[in-house]
Amino acid sequence: MLVASVGNVLVWAVWIGAAFACLASGAAVVSFSNPFYSALALIGNLGSLAVLYLLLSAEFVAAAQVLVYAGAVMVMFLFVIAYIGPRIESPWMGGPGWQAIGAVLAAGALLVEIIVVIGLKASGRLSHSERIGTAFGSPAQVGRLFLNDHLLAFEITSIVLLVAAIGGVILGAHSRSAADEVPPL
Amino acid sequence: MVWGAWICLLSPLAAAGLITLGGERLSRRGAGYLSTLSCFVAFGGALATFIGLLSRDGGDRREVSTAWTWVSGGSYRSGLEVMIDPLSVFMMLVVAGVGALIVAYSIGYMDGDVEERRYFAYMSLFVFSMLLLVQGGNLLLLLAGWGMVGLSSYLLIGFWHDRPSAIAAAKKAFVMNAIGDATMALAFFILIKQGHSLEFGILGGEFSSTTANLVALGLLGGAVAKSAQLPLQTWLPDAMEGPTPVSALIHAATMVTAGVYLIVRTHAIFESAPKVADLAAGLGAGTLLLAGLIALVQVDIKRVIAYSTMSQIGYMFLGAGLGSYANGMFHLMTHAFFKALLFMAAGIVIHALAAEQDIRKMGGLRTLMPRTYQAFLIGSLALVGIFPFAGFFSKDSILAAAMDHGTYGYILWVAGLAGTFLTGLYTFRLLFLVFWGEPSAFVREHFHALRRDVVGVSMASTVGVLAVLSAVGGWIQFSPWWHPVETWLQTVAEPIVSPKSWQEWLSIVLSLLLGLSGVAVAYLMYGVRTLAVPRFAFAQRTLEHKFYFDELYDALFYAPAVFLARLLRRGIEEPLIADSGRDLGDDTRDLGGLVARAQTGLLRTYALAIASSVAVLAIIFVAVK
Amino acid sequence: MNGPGVAWYLAVAGFLFGTGSLGVLLRRNPLIVLLSLEIMLNGANLALIGFSRNLGDGGGQIFALAVMAVAASEVVVGLGLIVALNRKRVTLDVDRLNTLRG
Repeated sequence: MLVASVGNVLVWAVWIGAAFACLASGAAVVSFSNPFYSALALIGNLGSLAVLYLLLSAEFVAAAQVLVYAGAVMVMFLFVIAYIGPRIESPWMGGPGWQAIGAVLAAGALLVEIIVVIGLKASGRLSHSERIGTAFGSPAQVGRLFLNDHLLAFEITSIVLLVAAIGGVILGAHSRSAADEVPPL
Repeated sequence: MVWGAWICLLSPLAAAGLITLGGERLSRRGAGYLSTLSCFVAFGGALATFIGLLSRDGGDRREVSTAWTWVSGGSYRSGLEVMIDPLSVFMMLVVAGVGALIVAYSIGYMDGDVEERRYFAYMSLFVFSMLLLVQGGNLLLLLAGWGMVGLSSYLLIGFWHDRPSAIAAAKKAFVMNAIGDATMALAFFILIKQGHSLEFGILGGEFSSTTANLVALGLLGGAVAKSAQLPLQTWLPDAMEGPTPVSALIHAATMVTAGVYLIVRTHAIFESAPKVADLAAGLGAGTLLLAGLIALVQVDIKRVIAYSTMSQIGYMFLGAGLGSYANGMFHLMTHAFFKALLFMAAGIVIHALAAEQDIRKMGGLRTLMPRTYQAFLIGSLALVGIFPFAGFFSKDSILAAAMDHGTYGYILWVAGLAGTFLTGLYTFRLLFLVFWGEPSAFVREHFHALRRDVVGVSMASTVGVLAVLSAVGGWIQFSPWWHPVETWLQTVAEPIVSPKSWQEWLSIVLSLLLGLSGVAVAYLMYGVRTLAVPRFAFAQRTLEHKFYFDELYDALFYAPAVFLARLLRRGIEEPLIADSGRDLGDDTRDLGGLVARAQTGLLRTYALAIASSVAVLAIIFVAVK
Repeated sequence: MNGPGVAWYLAVAGFLFGTGSLGVLLRRNPLIVLLSLEIMLNGANLALIGFSRNLGDGGGQIFALAVMAVAASEVVVGLGLIVALNRKRVTLDVDRLNTLRG
């Protein structure tokens, strides 16, 4: 029981750290004036999210998050930001004043609603333990689900990726000037 | 015999249609020949029908020929039927005969006019409409013919449509006729409700006195409007704006006599409503005096003859209202002869003086146009009722009939006699002023004789025929001794008055004396100018203003209507209807502008809109759950 | 193991989503807007995975993987637009990009 309580404390500590990192980096993304720093903060956000996924027994998704999101998408972001050059601006300036108030209100409303809902509904436990086996979240199970129950989603997602690739090529195509290094997917 | 009636009816319609469709392909004179031919064919058809009817017995002289069922609804049926009986054949002969002569005269009168084809198409249309009126086998067809003669009259009065006075006169005639049409329609509605049919026979049925009075009143209203009697008489003098043959045919011989025909045809209902019949007779007497007085001061040659027409129709109304139907119709026939003659002779005078119509500028035409003078003289004598000319035989019997109607009848009798004096006076005033004396300066300058080609022949020959008819046409009936007209029409309309022999002779002698004294006074005043024309300023002014009827109607009807129309336009049409259309467009555009302000083009606005909507939806979702 | 209940994970997801929407609505640089959009998507993903664990249904993870793929595609297109704008020397300010103003 001490092991269990020590394990519990460990889980909680990891959770608190990861959650804190997540929220802090999220706030950092939104508030830095230099986009480069914002992109780096996002990478931190993705990493902490991956830790949270691991705590939720979603190993495959955590791995995919780090590899795809942090590894490919964010690298692309950093390429583009570097290409475009420095754009340092005061982040909260400009725009109609009522927009700011409206935005805060909208976001706040969403937040309050989420907390109220889950406060009312959630039971406090994490899971129905009887349904979670060791295979939950493993690549094998994910693969089996993709190819059996959710085949349609799988195929459509692949088409979406194809469309995005074509779109990227078209957007990057030149009409007459010399070819620039535009990173494809 | 039935074929004759249908040919009579349809031949002028065919001519009108052919002239309309032929257009430029038909020469102008060709249109005239076609129209004249159709009228003569119609007369032939009428003659054939007459002969056919003659060969039948007195009581058997009635036939209705139906083409097909025209209107059928519920228990009501009306057929497209033609009535062949003595009265309709009588009218057919008069209308087709005099009409044919006048249309032939028009070939000469309207020669050279640019729109001659349209004229002849309208004339043929008119003859068809008048024949439909008199041949219609039920009241519905009579009403159809009634309306169409009104239309043809409007078209022909306003024939020279670039003259504003002609257009105004045409409108006036049409509107006043429309009043009569409305009262007639109301009478028909009552008939349909009470009697469930519009056949002629229904008029003799049993009706409550209110119904009979209302129906008779409505019919009288129509007759008064069409025949230009009091109080709807103001349109007839203005109708002289049309060409002279039009005045001769429509406003002397045929259309204006349609009112008399109506009363005689529907005499049964007037006999059921004796007060209304008395009213008709009274209106006739009043009109004949009024018109006679006004004619004394007129200076337009056609207007004098127009007022004379109004006056003579007053006599016919007097006869029909009293119940002396055959005499009223006989006077209609003789009047058609001599009035058309007078108008046509006047037309020759107008032609010879380059369209001048003011008699103050004329004079001395007796030597320059002797034949025309003779025709005019014959017509005038017939009008005044001098033996042995036509009017003598017809007018006096009406006066005699008035003596058989009690005290009221005697009042009418006196009025009729006074009218005889006036008739003599104004008719011969006209004759002396136009034809006697020395040729005036105007005449010397502008006179040109009638050409000897088709124009002259058409005008002269038709006038000649009518002169002969006016001279001898009256001999058909001389009431005390022989009366075939009365016998002929007896089966259709039995007279309800029968004056005694001494009453007849008294009327004859008195009216002859009065007529001759009128002629004598005119001779003294205007012929040899030994007697000065009495001039009373007030009387002169009143007569010249035609007893102020036009001003009265203007104040009573026209001015309030115009006021109301202006009020409605300013108060309702402009702000509500016209502006609302414009405002609708403006408001829609403003609304669109308001909505367009939401399209800021900024990404952030759209994102905010989405976020707020999601927040609101989530709150609603939670609240509902 | 015991740890925070699903409610805690959902709270974190909610905060992430709110933060991301604030960034989308209030920043003017389109790059930052795209990054904030990514944060919102990640918040949604966290909620999905949390519920998947809660209910024992693997479909949530499948959904999250699909969301990741779609997010990647959308980033490709968005960055392509920004690069094209940059090439045309247009100011990278969402408040200036209003030629669709009606």
